[in-house]
Amino acid sequence: MTYSSFLQSEFLILWRRKQDVLNALLFFILVVALFPIGVDPSPAFLAPAAGGIIWCAAVLSILMAIEGAFKEDYLDGSLEQLVTSGLSLPLLMLLKVLALWGCVVVPLLLIMPLLSEMLFLPSTVFWVLILTLLLGSPSLFFIGLIGSALTVSLRQGSMLMMLLILPFYFPVIIFATSAVHAAQAGLSYSGSLAMLLAMSLLSLVVSPVMTAIAVKASVN
Amino acid sequence: MRWVWFHKLGSPKWFFFQSKSWVLPLLGLGSIGLIVGLVWGLAFAPADYQQGDTFRIIYIHVPAAMLAQSCYFALGAAGFVYLVWQMKMAPIFIKAIAPIGAVMALIALVTGAIWGKPTWGTWWIWDARLTSVLVLFFLYMGIIALQSAFDDVMLANKATAVVCVVGLINLPIIKYSVVWWNTLHQGATFSLAEKPAMSAEMWLPLLVSVVGFYLFIAGLVLWRMQSEILQREHRSSWVKKEVMDRGL
Repeated sequence: MTYSSFLQSEFLILWRRKQDVLNALLFFILVVALFPIGVDPSPAFLAPAAGGIIWCAAVLSILMAIEGAFKEDYLDGSLEQLVTSGLSLPLLMLLKVLALWGCVVVPLLLIMPLLSEMLFLPSTVFWVLILTLLLGSPSLFFIGLIGSALTVSLRQGSMLMMLLILPFYFPVIIFATSAVHAAQAGLSYSGSLAMLLAMSLLSLVVSPVMTAIAVKASVN
Repeated sequence: MRWVWFHKLGSPKWFFFQSKSWVLPLLGLGSIGLIVGLVWGLAFAPADYQQGDTFRIIYIHVPAAMLAQSCYFALGAAGFVYLVWQMKMAPIFIKAIAPIGAVMALIALVTGAIWGKPTWGTWWIWDARLTSVLVLFFLYMGIIALQSAFDDVMLANKATAVVCVVGLINLPIIKYSVVWWNTLHQGATFSLAEKPAMSAEMWLPLLVSVVGFYLFIAGLVLWRMQSEILQREHRSSWVKKEVMDRGL
């Protein structure tokens, strides 16, 4: 096994199990739909809240997508193969995040125009929202993967994983929605975007190592 | 040579016998500090000229909030020690201190709400401090839940240590993001810092109370660690001897 063959197989697995990604997307749209139905369908409420609604829904659906990231690998023993392969485990984890991020976030971005139209998001703010998703979502994946690796050996791990990981998502949501709000108010939003990027870079450094430790502990 | 004490910390037996004589004095001093600080603060300290007697809850609220944060730093440090040196005592310490930290965060939240009702007119606002203590509480609960979810002790140790370290890295980010978020949305925050500067009659009992809280919690943590050591090492001969000779 090499790094490139690992990346290839990850993409292939995700492609063959595309129903999972599709489910996460459908879940995302459903959560977004809850807000107009449950709170208020008028543009006066939805337009200012759109950034927050989309981010909350995105966080939940990304958690759904990450939650099972190691389950199959753990059950069929390929996780052990990764540990004993002699390749750097943190690097493999980094590649795994890369594959997962590409397969979940790209479709998410593709349906974003539709959803922002449904939530009456002004078109000037739309691109800011896309930018926050692009810059902020890597850190969601990196942090989430730690939780997924920690709870993979548990039968009822998914609830626990959400309980563990959601508090760590607070800062990302805060900075992302404040960037959208600042853009809506006509203020400068580059500071929030820089913070999102900084958090993604920090988790890029910390998370693969931590995920590798968690995978090693879970496999033993 | 100076690091010998640090390496000895890795031995539960050494720790057990070293810490045995510490628990009672710590708990005793802590109780005295608590009683003196609280009675002094609640009954004898002068009333605040703005808030009247309502401010007296500070003598419970502030120590609890301080401990909730201190416990988390200790937790993160122990997680780091475990990940780097695989020290046996670190997970025992984490297991002993996590529920205490959670209770302290809860006390800070509840007393804060009780204090907020008469002074701010509301039980809860999404103020930066309140929100960050709430997140802290959730972090504690996550760690406790994770620790109790595993049957395998080694795996539970590793997993909680990872979460503690990640939490320690994230704690400042969470704290400052909340501060930033809050100040962006509402100009004037209700801040504890805006209270008039305290006179000595007011902060002295607070100091005594804080020290009492710390000592009491230190004793409690040691006590919990000792029972955890006995439980984890129940197969070893020194535990059998200890229990047979002196009982539980």
